[in-house]
Amino acid sequence: MKRIDIMKRAGRNLRQAKGRTFLTSLAIAVGAFTLTMALAAGQGTRDYADKLLQNNIDPQAMFIVKDKSLFEQGGTVGLREYDPDVSTSSSGRPGTTIKQLNESDIAYFNKRGDLTDIIPVYTLSPKWVEFQGNTKKYIGSVDYYDATILNETKAGTLPSLGSQIADNEATVPQKYAEILGVEAQALIGKTVSVTFVQQATTASDEQIQQAFLSGGTQAVQNLLTPQEKTFTYTIRAVTKTPTMSFSATPRIFISANSARIANNYQTEGTTGFGKYMGVSALVKSGSSPDTVKSDLETHGYASQTAKDAQSILFTIVNTLQGIVAGFGLLTLLASLFGIINTQYISVLERTSQIGLMKALGMSKKAIAKLFRYEAAWIGLLGGLIGAVTAFIVGTLTNPAISKALDIGDDRILEFVWWQIAAMIGALVLIAIIAGWLPSRKAARLDPIEALRTE
Amino acid sequence: MIAVEGVSKTYGKKKNEFSALRNVSFVIPDGATVAIVGKSGSGKSTLMHIMSGLDRPQEGRIVINDENILTLKPKAVDKFRSEQMSFIFQSFFVQGNESCYNNVSLPLEIARVPFRKRKAMIEKALSAVELLDKKKSRARDLSGGQKQRLAIARAIVNDPTVLFADEPTGNLDSATGGVIERLLFDYNKKHGTTLIIVTHDIDLAKQCDMQILIKDGEIQKIVGGER
Repeated sequence: MKRIDIMKRAGRNLRQAKGRTFLTSLAIAVGAFTLTMALAAGQGTRDYADKLLQNNIDPQAMFIVKDKSLFEQGGTVGLREYDPDVSTSSSGRPGTTIKQLNESDIAYFNKRGDLTDIIPVYTLSPKWVEFQGNTKKYIGSVDYYDATILNETKAGTLPSLGSQIADNEATVPQKYAEILGVEAQALIGKTVSVTFVQQATTASDEQIQQAFLSGGTQAVQNLLTPQEKTFTYTIRAVTKTPTMSFSATPRIFISANSARIANNYQTEGTTGFGKYMGVSALVKSGSSPDTVKSDLETHGYASQTAKDAQSILFTIVNTLQGIVAGFGLLTLLASLFGIINTQYISVLERTSQIGLMKALGMSKKAIAKLFRYEAAWIGLLGGLIGAVTAFIVGTLTNPAISKALDIGDDRILEFVWWQIAAMIGALVLIAIIAGWLPSRKAARLDPIEALRTE
Repeated sequence: MIAVEGVSKTYGKKKNEFSALRNVSFVIPDGATVAIVGKSGSGKSTLMHIMSGLDRPQEGRIVINDENILTLKPKAVDKFRSEQMSFIFQSFFVQGNESCYNNVSLPLEIARVPFRKRKAMIEKALSAVELLDKKKSRARDLSGGQKQRLAIARAIVNDPTVLFADEPTGNLDSATGGVIERLLFDYNKKHGTTLIIVTHDIDLAKQCDMQILIKDGEIQKIVGGER
């Protein structure tokens, strides 16, 4: 019997048992729905993340550290051989020891020639922040201005992309203006004062003696108590919170140079002075970040490129997608037993028909095929129902999801036709596998037994 | 010519062994009408199954056109059946949910007759049993007699050399049964198809050229034909 004839007969057989066919394929449709949603959500999230990264990270940007373990989980704690370069990080978690970069490392990066905009990580921890025209002290975050991102402003102006703000300037986020209860425009030209604390010096006995001799107890106290210093900047711009942003926390930005000065003040006299967890840098155009990365590796530095950051994010997305898809597969597994069951019943119901076909000379193979194709039709139908439903539901709910997640016009569910087609194809294949047992039963049926009149 | 030579068939094993056929031999000339007559349980249906290659005896040969079909591979037997044999059953075994057209189409599909040739063959077979006007009706909507006529159309569409009919009128009243009988005998006369009817109806058997009487798996008597 020709394949096309078997397929046609299989199709007609199913059409004649509409209710049963429909219900069986509905079970598959649930699985197909979940899978389609998982695929769409994964695709949408990946696309969104991609966009996010493109808006936030210069593809030439990289982050360089000395301690490889920073990029590995759980690698920073534990027993290690003593190394004079290893120091307890001033900003790290207690008990973590991190190999830090020092000035000679930074000098080396500068000398390389393929890196620009080398800015060490300045960990700024201001004690308080004051705004001109407001008597209260506030706690706020301060960071250095990243010239690779162009922020939108609510008021004031920012330099063009790639240029730093002046050392006496700062930008303030819109959120802060709201908290202060003033118009954004009103802050422009006013000053913001940030007070930093110098960490207590570990003074030597000699130093203490000298201080005592020159200024008595007071001098010793001055030497050992933390000191404070206030830096004042003029507000140049009030920045909008970007929709495409990684860091949800709004921050005051000061120039990289000002940040360096503040950082040095904070760490002066401590072991952390002149040492940094890492540096951010831009690879000069013309050089590939990947080549620079591998070259740095041979010199004992670990680094992450924009591409690496992307892959880390994608790993998370893929894991989540895998979990949802896993549920879909479980549902599918359950529906497979539905197919097996339905087809078994179908074989029992059509015993005499099978007997007749055998008497007419239909081969075992062709009979088995007939039942397998019926299963395939069920799989196809279920896949189509599930995918179409998912598409409709997804298209309808997309705006609501985007609104709930506050991601603007981006769609978190993205349906890719070839993914859906591949999924349906896989479903058909799986259905055929499920139909294998019943089809074998049909093929093995004894025609004489089947044709015996009741 | 169909030669049945020393066919024995037993079912079950050891204590439960049951002899369905014991050393059965006869020869059916081409184009003959043959009745295999016996009570139920006499082994007549088993004999038909063996002659058509559906069942295999422990001993004996079935020689059709100089070929022992019992030594053929299953695939070859299937092919042989699809091209040369056809069947009519007491309970019709038409596929109720298929149209008359598709019921008749089945043997052609099995025999891999090209699609474009089928329509003419199917319509010829349907008009031979006067069911052409029902070609699109579903088989389940037909009356008993119509169903059996449909079964005949299905049996003759492939122009078989041997037509087996297992109690073809058993489920029909005498009037409709008579129509079926006429159709079968007329077809035999027109096309020279060997017609083998399994029945316990003596009146039907008497219309055949040859009657093989079976009792308890053994041939009691053969009337007519050549021995």
